[in-house]
Amino acid sequence: MTATRDLVADRREQFAFHDDIVYLAETKRGLSRDTVEEISRFKAEPDWMLQSRLRAYDHFLKRPMPTWTDGLDKIDFDRIVYYRKPSEREEKSWDDVPEQIKATFERLGIPEAERKFLAGVGAQYDSEVVYHSVREELQKIGVVFMGMDQGLKEHEDIVRKHFGTVVPAEDNKFSALNTAVWSGGSFVYVPKGVEVPLPLQAYFRINGENTGQFERTLIVVEEGAKVHYIEGCTAPIYATDSLHAAVVEVVALPGSKVRYTTIQNWSNDVYNLVTKRAHAYENSTVEWIDANTGSRKTVKFPSIYLRGENATADIISVAVAGKGQHQDTGAKAIHLAPNTKSRIVSKSVSKDGGRATYRGHLKVSPGATNVVASVRCDALMLDDHSRSDTYPYIDIQEDDTTMTHEATVGKISADQVFYLMSRGLTENEAQNLIVQGFLEVFTKELPMEYAIEFNRLVKLEMEGSLG
Amino acid sequence: MTLARAPRAPRRAPTDLTFFLDEAQVESRAAAEPDWLTADRRAAFARYAALPIETNQLYTTYVDLRTADLADVRPWDEPAATPQSREAPAPAGVAAFASFTESTIDALALSAEARSAGVVLDSVDGLIGRDARLARRLLADDRSLPLNDKLAQMTRAGWNRGVVVRVPAGVRLAEPIVIRWAVGQGGRALLTRTILDLGEGAAASLVEELEASPGAAGRGEPQALFTGSLEVHLARGADLRVASIQDLPEGTVAFQHRQAEIGEGASLHWALAQLGARLVRSRVDNRLVGDRSSVEQVEIVFGAEDQLFDLTSYTRHSGRDTTGILLSKAALMDATRSYMKGLIVIEPTAVGTDSFLGEFGMNLSKKARAVAIPSLEIDQPDCRRAAHSSSVGPIDESQLFYLETRGILPEEARKMIVLGFLEPVVARVPLASAQDRLRELLAAKWDEGAAAAQPAA
Repeated sequence: MTATRDLVADRREQFAFHDDIVYLAETKRGLSRDTVEEISRFKAEPDWMLQSRLRAYDHFLKRPMPTWTDGLDKIDFDRIVYYRKPSEREEKSWDDVPEQIKATFERLGIPEAERKFLAGVGAQYDSEVVYHSVREELQKIGVVFMGMDQGLKEHEDIVRKHFGTVVPAEDNKFSALNTAVWSGGSFVYVPKGVEVPLPLQAYFRINGENTGQFERTLIVVEEGAKVHYIEGCTAPIYATDSLHAAVVEVVALPGSKVRYTTIQNWSNDVYNLVTKRAHAYENSTVEWIDANTGSRKTVKFPSIYLRGENATADIISVAVAGKGQHQDTGAKAIHLAPNTKSRIVSKSVSKDGGRATYRGHLKVSPGATNVVASVRCDALMLDDHSRSDTYPYIDIQEDDTTMTHEATVGKISADQVFYLMSRGLTENEAQNLIVQGFLEVFTKELPMEYAIEFNRLVKLEMEGSLG
Repeated sequence: MTLARAPRAPRRAPTDLTFFLDEAQVESRAAAEPDWLTADRRAAFARYAALPIETNQLYTTYVDLRTADLADVRPWDEPAATPQSREAPAPAGVAAFASFTESTIDALALSAEARSAGVVLDSVDGLIGRDARLARRLLADDRSLPLNDKLAQMTRAGWNRGVVVRVPAGVRLAEPIVIRWAVGQGGRALLTRTILDLGEGAAASLVEELEASPGAAGRGEPQALFTGSLEVHLARGADLRVASIQDLPEGTVAFQHRQAEIGEGASLHWALAQLGARLVRSRVDNRLVGDRSSVEQVEIVFGAEDQLFDLTSYTRHSGRDTTGILLSKAALMDATRSYMKGLIVIEPTAVGTDSFLGEFGMNLSKKARAVAIPSLEIDQPDCRRAAHSSSVGPIDESQLFYLETRGILPEEARKMIVLGFLEPVVARVPLASAQDRLRELLAAKWDEGAAAAQPAA
């Protein structure tokens, strides 16, 4: 058992570091119209993007801070650096990546991962994609996987067609902020009928105290195509609050299949306020597989708008809320077309005074006949000073919908712990095993390497709470 | 040929309340009422004036008062006439009987048995004259209506009729109490408080009947407003069963507030049927403060035309080993809307809670809309159960098929399934005659809806 503990300790140390990077360009602290213009100028963007940023900035100013979830008023927008550029240009090959940044990625395990199975790597170091490689065979089949800034340069027509159509700037205060100051993120384009054989992966990192990160991801999957995108986050630990306000847009055209997997493990000082939404057209399938273990506060409800007949939505959302954390997560399925199906499964664990909130929205609009939908939320509370909330919104406006929703909240059964301890496990190990079992619906959807990583994260959380 | 269009009503926000309670009217009562009551009304008026229509941010998007046209509605302001049948006995099989038509008290009657057991039944005005201390305890209790609810505070500030029932400790009434309100006169507002106080170990059942007065306004006529509270105090070990049959006329807008403080070992059963009124906004607050206290709440909605039922239920578990079972069911015809909002709160002190919340909808028309928001806020994981479930679905085809194989015509089979879906509340009405009446009301409403749905021959 000591060996396992050491391994866990090693990994914690691996995530908790901070390299001193020389930033080649950065904006002043705080947000103004000048900042927005400056960011666009740095990037030499087309005028329509600048105008889009400025409109979003105006909306951000007008829009009041949401009060339906608490604590957002603690964000000090004036202390944030909205843009940093750590190296001059996008790197195409590993050899060109600056040594200092390479060292950071070495610790994250990227080269090894790439050797094994990576299809391509887009890694975000602070606000810019600095390293990026797309395998030759992906290029051969026409798959585009690159940083969003590069995507805008090289595929402006596709970006312009879809940017902001799934998540408009006006959707909420933080989508407006992201649209105004976005930088980095991934651009994925899968042409008609192409099945991407391996998952596309991007590593994101926040480095630098008070660096806001506003990445923007756009995934366009053409008719009959198929792709799996994976993002995992780690961040160094700092005392003051960081802000991460991302927007992810997925366009799943008819007959396509898209899976988007996230393991979010920001350090416990990050506000993680993310708008993730997909449009699913006829016969397409969209899957959000979303886990949140880190951050001080996460507000994220991966959404699927079922716009075409026979589209399918599948959302698995997992949250672990420890000391000082509030995971305000959930899912939304909006049925806009006939014969569409959705399934939402949510699992949350709260402990050491943490708070896990499930917020969900299931809507069946007039005209969306013959919908089948189900929602299942389970919450586990490990002690009696933690909190668990469930707020599901169900709005049905058709007469032939079949919808079921179930939720339970409970604690770890003493019988189960006793049984496992009688088999020689310590109490901590028994509880850890039960929590891992509770979250298995999520873990089993992950590629093996990620499943191992995720179980380690859970274990690490559990050790922190009980060890 | 073009038809002349009626002038468009000005656009209104869904949260705009068109009824205004006049401060002068509240003040005008001061001369005739004791100072503590005036102070209570003033405090309530200040809260009413300051509060938004919905204070809970979970529900702000599900408020819609646009079908309520109450700008010209005025409260009844003259004092109630003394009932003539005051000394008359209650009808057979009923322990206590209170009946109101519009602003008039028709009857306040007790059975001989109830009278000798010391049961009190009186109008609020009557109680103030008779027992000011009891009146003050019951009326000026801040816990008896939610302080953060604009409409509850409006009733508290401006109520013009009230009835109080008190069942002394140890008295267990075998026969039900019946309270009947017949209302709906266009242009008039009746703001009422109903207070039930059960002493230690007391037991009682109540049937509340809300129905049309002879002069009630129909669709298209000036609307009427009825607001009603039901403030329940249950001392240790008390047991109360409440059945409400709401069949108000279609020109009436109803705001209802039911609040119960449930003491140690006490139990409360609600059976609430919502059929009538143009627009209903109702809120139930169950406060399980005593250890081993319990509440069971079963509510049905059967809507037609463009009725809107906006129903919220809060259940707060504070004591140890408390039980809360809540079930809401809505069958919706035509363009009915039903917003069922339920929130269970389990406080850190509430060890051993058993809590279940179920919200079920049946949309019988393409234009119907069912919203369910069954929520949980849990601060104590040591629960026997903390769960909720919800479903919305059409009439089950296999049930329909089964009934048809037994020779039942499809339309009759549909009726049986829908009425069966709503039966849980019917079965809980404690008075046989009221139970029969509710069954008839439901069947008649189905027949009307089915007739309207038939294409013209």
